[in-house]
Amino acid sequence: MTRMDTIDTSHIRNFSIVAHIDHGKSTISDRILELTRTVEERDMESQLLDTMDIERERGITIKSNAVRVMYDADDGETYQFNLIDTPGHVDFTYEVSRSLAACEGAVLVVDATQGVEAQTVSNANLAMNANLDIVPAINKIDLPSAHPEEVKVEIEDELAIPADDAVCVSGKTGEGIHDLLESIVFLISPPKGDASKPLKALILDSYFDEYRGVVATVRVFDGSVKKGDQLRMMQGGEDFLVDGVGVRRPAEVAVDVLAVGEVGYVVTGLKDPEAVHVGDTLTFRDNPCDAPLSGYREAKPMVYTGLFPIDNKDYENLRDALEKLRVNDPSLIWTPETSVALGFGFRVGFLGLLHMEVVKERLEREFDLDLIATSPSVDYHVYKTDGEMIDVRSPQDLPDVTRIEHIEEPYLKAKVIAPPEYTGAVMQLAIEHRGITTDMIHLSQKSVEMHFDVPLAELILDFFDQLKSRTKGYASLDYEFSDYRVSELVKLDILLSGDEVDALSFIVHKDKAYALARSLCDKLKEIIPRQQFEVPIQGAIGNKIIARSTVKAHRKDVLAKCYGGDISRKRKLLEKQKEGKKRMKAIGSVEVPQEAFLAILKVED
Amino acid sequence: MNETSYQALYLHIPFCRSKCAYCDFDSRAFAPCELDAALDAYCVQLEGLLDKHGKAGELDQVATVYIGGGTPSIMGERLPRLVRRVCAYCNPVEFTCEANPESFTPRQARELRDAGVTRISLGIQSLNAVELKILGRIHSAEEALEALELAKRNGFSTSCDLMCALPGQTYESWRTTLARIIAAAPDHVSVYPLQVEGGTPLARLEEAGKIDIPDEDFQALCMEEAAKQLRAAGYARYEVASYAKPGHRCQHNIAYWTGKPYLGLGRSASSMRHVASERTNDVSEDGAHRPFVRERFTQLDDAGTRFDREILMPREAYAEDLMLACRMTDGIPRNLLERAEAYIPSAELKAACARAVALELATWRNELLCPTQQGWLCGNELYGLFWDLAE
Repeated sequence: MTRMDTIDTSHIRNFSIVAHIDHGKSTISDRILELTRTVEERDMESQLLDTMDIERERGITIKSNAVRVMYDADDGETYQFNLIDTPGHVDFTYEVSRSLAACEGAVLVVDATQGVEAQTVSNANLAMNANLDIVPAINKIDLPSAHPEEVKVEIEDELAIPADDAVCVSGKTGEGIHDLLESIVFLISPPKGDASKPLKALILDSYFDEYRGVVATVRVFDGSVKKGDQLRMMQGGEDFLVDGVGVRRPAEVAVDVLAVGEVGYVVTGLKDPEAVHVGDTLTFRDNPCDAPLSGYREAKPMVYTGLFPIDNKDYENLRDALEKLRVNDPSLIWTPETSVALGFGFRVGFLGLLHMEVVKERLEREFDLDLIATSPSVDYHVYKTDGEMIDVRSPQDLPDVTRIEHIEEPYLKAKVIAPPEYTGAVMQLAIEHRGITTDMIHLSQKSVEMHFDVPLAELILDFFDQLKSRTKGYASLDYEFSDYRVSELVKLDILLSGDEVDALSFIVHKDKAYALARSLCDKLKEIIPRQQFEVPIQGAIGNKIIARSTVKAHRKDVLAKCYGGDISRKRKLLEKQKEGKKRMKAIGSVEVPQEAFLAILKVED
Repeated sequence: MNETSYQALYLHIPFCRSKCAYCDFDSRAFAPCELDAALDAYCVQLEGLLDKHGKAGELDQVATVYIGGGTPSIMGERLPRLVRRVCAYCNPVEFTCEANPESFTPRQARELRDAGVTRISLGIQSLNAVELKILGRIHSAEEALEALELAKRNGFSTSCDLMCALPGQTYESWRTTLARIIAAAPDHVSVYPLQVEGGTPLARLEEAGKIDIPDEDFQALCMEEAAKQLRAAGYARYEVASYAKPGHRCQHNIAYWTGKPYLGLGRSASSMRHVASERTNDVSEDGAHRPFVRERFTQLDDAGTRFDREILMPREAYAEDLMLACRMTDGIPRNLLERAEAYIPSAELKAACARAVALELATWRNELLCPTQQGWLCGNELYGLFWDLAE
């Protein structure tokens, strides 16, 4: 038997590693790969599982990844471990849930010097909600300030997880990693599943390969899959011929078959990335399984913003860049948009604001574009007086107020789990965001689950950041679409020097318009530099001015000596001044820095 | 670029008795016992450099000399000696020495005059005791006025440097400083708003919230007040920060602003010259002009063996001259525009001029494109328009 041959399900362990930031999830992953000789030490690049630059810089995992590790246990048997990495941000909450659905267990890493922290709690909650077997691992025991015994008590008290079985490890020295691997064998259940049934496999991730088309990462729940099988996506409906199957170690290795309980990749050959959806179920075209796996959700954009090149000549380049990104990120959708202020651009749909930031950053970095993102919007249903309903995803598309019968906005069902002492803070936050508390469940002494109905538009702005800061990071958030509800919404316009700047318009609830207008005017006053003339800033609903501020005229710039050697310095200063201006957008006669457009994203700071 | 030989000579004396709170220039402060030795060692090297260039005939065309710092007056008898040595190689029409009130003595004044110095530039900065203290100046207002009187008595053309928008300064205290200076009647006044440079004691005080630096509105107010009072007293503004009685413009500084080659000696002094170029790219569009590049180099050590160099292509050199011309009342003359056209497309030149006029930063006056009031205050906007022509 070669090491990659299929193995009895009793010898398979599928698990994730979850931790508070910096508690050592990545180093432990690295040590596991090393100790099992999956990767030779010299090939180790720390944090092997996170591959995108932005992921490394921001320390977040955006796409999931699954690596197979073969472990020769002390009982003389060889076990197949599938280590499944999960995205770490609420924008990707659905992807997290699918990744966890592919696991039977989770290793919960807690720093021996820090103890249980906010994300330890929220991640443990996610794992417990997914009914996973939890192996606590107390990391960094090599440090002099480590106090593992106290941390064990915290794990039992604060997480209600038995800590007798907690393993003490050091990701740095490798101490205890062997014990951890043994614990994984003994404490995490093997996958259940029926090898004789037709294939039933969950898609947890996918990416696009120029030569092989879409490659999907899957977890097999029943049956097995091999090259040449005719498969069907049960939700998407697309059929395809399997072009190959394999596993990542972490480099891709082809295998003959992915059997029940295993995790690996399937080469679909499909050229349209949109045909493959995370959460969909794979089965045989001609002999399908009885029902798809539950929990499928279409990866639907939640937030729409305008993306405009600062230099209008880059419009086509932006389109090309979006096309290229979509190949690996099928959730990205866009339509052309024109702005009086910003020229030609696109209205782009995103899963959330972080997704937006990541995409914008990739566009700027990988395709060398300078972009402006405009105010985020959700998909409003606008009922016109003539009876027609239109989808409005940009404030500019809102019809004249006289032609609007009413407007409906999307609501979410949001679920927050937090320690009881933060209940008040969370409810206050919900109220500020027009949320309605629908239920409150005491899960344990240490955690309360609160349910809210809240408008999506409120959630996309800064709800998550606020939630984290007001609960010191202890709260976790999950949400799903609920329904459309009638709301009293108005369009808030911003005028610079009397001219409406379409890119700064905002659809907002009537009750919040005044405060928002004031806050925006003040913020813009800080951001827009003094110009050669005075710039009045006004907030208006229709013809009614509801807030104003003024940027005073620029009186004087830096006057420095300019003798001999000062001349080169002067030129460099002028060049810097010019670079600064390049990052500005001339709107009418007013030079507006990009931060002005970002300001509306962070207006409640 | 007509001249290739040096028209101006600058000598840098990077020593001070104590370092001012705003200063980020190259100067060192020494304890008195060590200062003499340091000055001696420095002078040997400076004189060596002077001899080298002088003997090579490079100073033959020098029309103006400027000894700056630092504090040249701190050199005592070494200063007149240096002046005499310079005058062995050239016959300048203007010879300026910078001096600080506390170290400028009657004996030094006499000796400098006899050695050939024609002009004294005094670092006065303010006549308000509190402001002087914050700046870290070690002289009093009275000492400053006495030093000015001393220079005048010895027949020098005199200049005073003033600073405005100082921490704690009021409109009234600035007006008083101006009025007292005008009453003391120097021939020339330079006015700069305080600029807080990173790393200086003043910057640290500001970061610590211990002092407030006045805003740009107050700076503008001070600059306008200076222009008003000085004009009324018979001083004509000839550069954004420079005012002179008739016949007393600083020819040395004008050389910097009109693209004349200059030699700078001493640590951190800069030189500029035009060098014939072999590159065909540097030939003007009509082929009529001799190819050249502009070279600027800054001495990095005392010995004059290490330099920081930059090369400007002809187009860049002309853009630089246009930018500098905007600092002057006379502005950009037609003939500079015409010469620049050999390297900068005429349409771009015209567009830059038109833009400057449209933004009310400059205006045409007798074939000269001159800065307006707005152009004085928001000069960087104006200079930027012309430096942009470099590419």
